Amino acid sequence: MDLRRAFAPTRTAHAHCDVPCGIYDPVQARIEAESCYRIIEKYHASTDDVFRARCLIVKEERAELAKHHIDVLWSDYFKPEHLEKFPDIKDTCWKAAKQASKVKQGVDLDAAKELLALIDKIDEAWRGTGGAQNTRLAS
Amino acid sequence: MRLRWLVLLGVVALVADLATPRGRVRAMALRLARSWQARVAIEGPSMEPTVMDGDWLLVDPLAYATRSPVVGGLVLAADPREPERVLIKRVVTIDPDGWLRLEGDDPDHSTDSRAFGAVDPATVSGAPWFRYWPPGRIGRLR
Repeated sequence: MDLRRAFAPTRTAHAHCDVPCGIYDPVQARIEAESCYRIIEKYHASTDDVFRARCLIVKEERAELAKHHIDVLWSDYFKPEHLEKFPDIKDTCWKAAKQASKVKQGVDLDAAKELLALIDKIDEAWRGTGGAQNTRLAS
Repeated sequence: MRLRWLVLLGVVALVADLATPRGRVRAMALRLARSWQARVAIEGPSMEPTVMDGDWLLVDPLAYATRSPVVGGLVLAADPREPERVLIKRVVTIDPDGWLRLEGDDPDHSTDSRAFGAVDPATVSGAPWFRYWPPGRIGRLR
């Protein structure tokens, strides 16, 4: 008789963690936002309709990814004690996510620039709360 | 083979019943039986060091049938974002409306009420109270 199998539970309870790796870095969002910025530049510089259509498609994808990475930082990385040190961080993340939507919707280079600035503000809070030491591997 | 276990269990129960106040033993036996039916395997790191990935626990499904969960207690509850997923967490506070704020014992590796907000007490499905595997760490949970 396989004792282990007889005693094994059939149900699972999740001691859940969305990102069990515990690795976070705003650079993920930053790279997607930089892609958006460059694609918008290329969009405006081109007269080729097919190329411009491709730019729009890629920009939408990248902006959505930027938004996702911002959301993950807000909901998983930042903790109540971080908010004490950076009380604006909730507002900054919220604005950044909204800005990513704006970049997704349009082809305004300034909007993309603003998104980059907001991500840099999140990056500042991430560094200021020890993120660079605690949520990345030492290289 | 199963019969032999049942007989052994019966003998143990009989001895215990003779040795202690009978109501308590029967209540404990019932609790054990229903907890065995509701046993769970743990997946994930968020409850370390209390409970580790791979632990097997007994869960009393009726623990909160007549009383509400208390602050500091372990609970199984449905994930509000994905209700078919059952979570194990600890109650850290109870909101005035009775909803529970749950957190992992390892807050750095836990997605919990800090991410998804307070949890409806009606989605709590039991209280984990005993680890029966691995053999080296058998014991009551606190």
